[in-house]
Amino acid sequence: MNASLTTPSITEEAQKQPMKQKCEHHAECMKVIQAILDDEATEAEKDHFRENMDKCLPCIESYRLEKCIKDSLSFKIEKKPCPQSILTTIISKINS
Amino acid sequence: MLVAMSETITTNEYTDDLRYEVFNREFMPHIDSMYNFAFRLTMDEDDANDLVQDTYLKAFRFISSFEQGTNAKAWLFRILKNSFINDYRKKSKEPSKVDYQEVETTYNSEEASDTTYTVDLRADAVQELIGDEVANALNALPVDFRTVIILCDIEGFTYEEMAKILDIPIGTVRSRLHRARNLLKEKLKSYASSMGYDS
Repeated sequence: MNASLTTPSITEEAQKQPMKQKCEHHAECMKVIQAILDDEATEAEKDHFRENMDKCLPCIESYRLEKCIKDSLSFKIEKKPCPQSILTTIISKINS
Repeated sequence: MLVAMSETITTNEYTDDLRYEVFNREFMPHIDSMYNFAFRLTMDEDDANDLVQDTYLKAFRFISSFEQGTNAKAWLFRILKNSFINDYRKKSKEPSKVDYQEVETTYNSEEASDTTYTVDLRADAVQELIGDEVANALNALPVDFRTVIILCDIEGFTYEEMAKILDIPIGTVRSRLHRARNLLKEKLKSYASSMGYDS
């Protein structure tokens, strides 16, 4: 959509305010960002996140970083299969 | 070791057949996750083998305190974690005295560190890291911090499940996880710098 073809509404104008380069409550924001990524955020935290996420550069970058680390832990780290010898020992011991 | 299950002791009646059936159906599917958890706690293959075996034998012995329909994986992880603390941590190759001190210091300064803490690390730099580098950064954390990250980010437990596994309040789960992630970022930053990913 080409924004220049439409007359921006007041709301759109408000949203065009310059993005924040510094977050004055970043520690609190970090807690919310982690709760969001862990799927543990409250409804109020989710609302706050949705309304403010695209307005603050440090928070956007933190979200990207936290998500990237979480995904790396989840998908990149090798998961080893349990050695067969352990299974065999457990089964033989509980059957004896 | 029964302390591990003190909250969940009930009077479930299990016939012999049912004991084996529940063991196979509810417990055995988690053995790979249990093995990986044990390995990441002990950092030693032999200890991990013993820890998994001990945990499963305890789980079988005390199966009547497991309530069917509840979260078997969390129940098993809790037994494993307690066995690790009681039986393995003392002989662990980690410098546990340093760990305790570091944990205590960081917990005490938790609020102060929260307000000022930032690590100069970019998502792009993390994306460049391979699995072994991420694993090494995780393994370099003191065990209590390593544990919360394993439970949350690798195994996908909820905060409530983690609180039960670790016998700590949910608020402590949140704050320990927050602190653990900050420490992990420092380790990842070192890796990224040494690889030249952050320049």
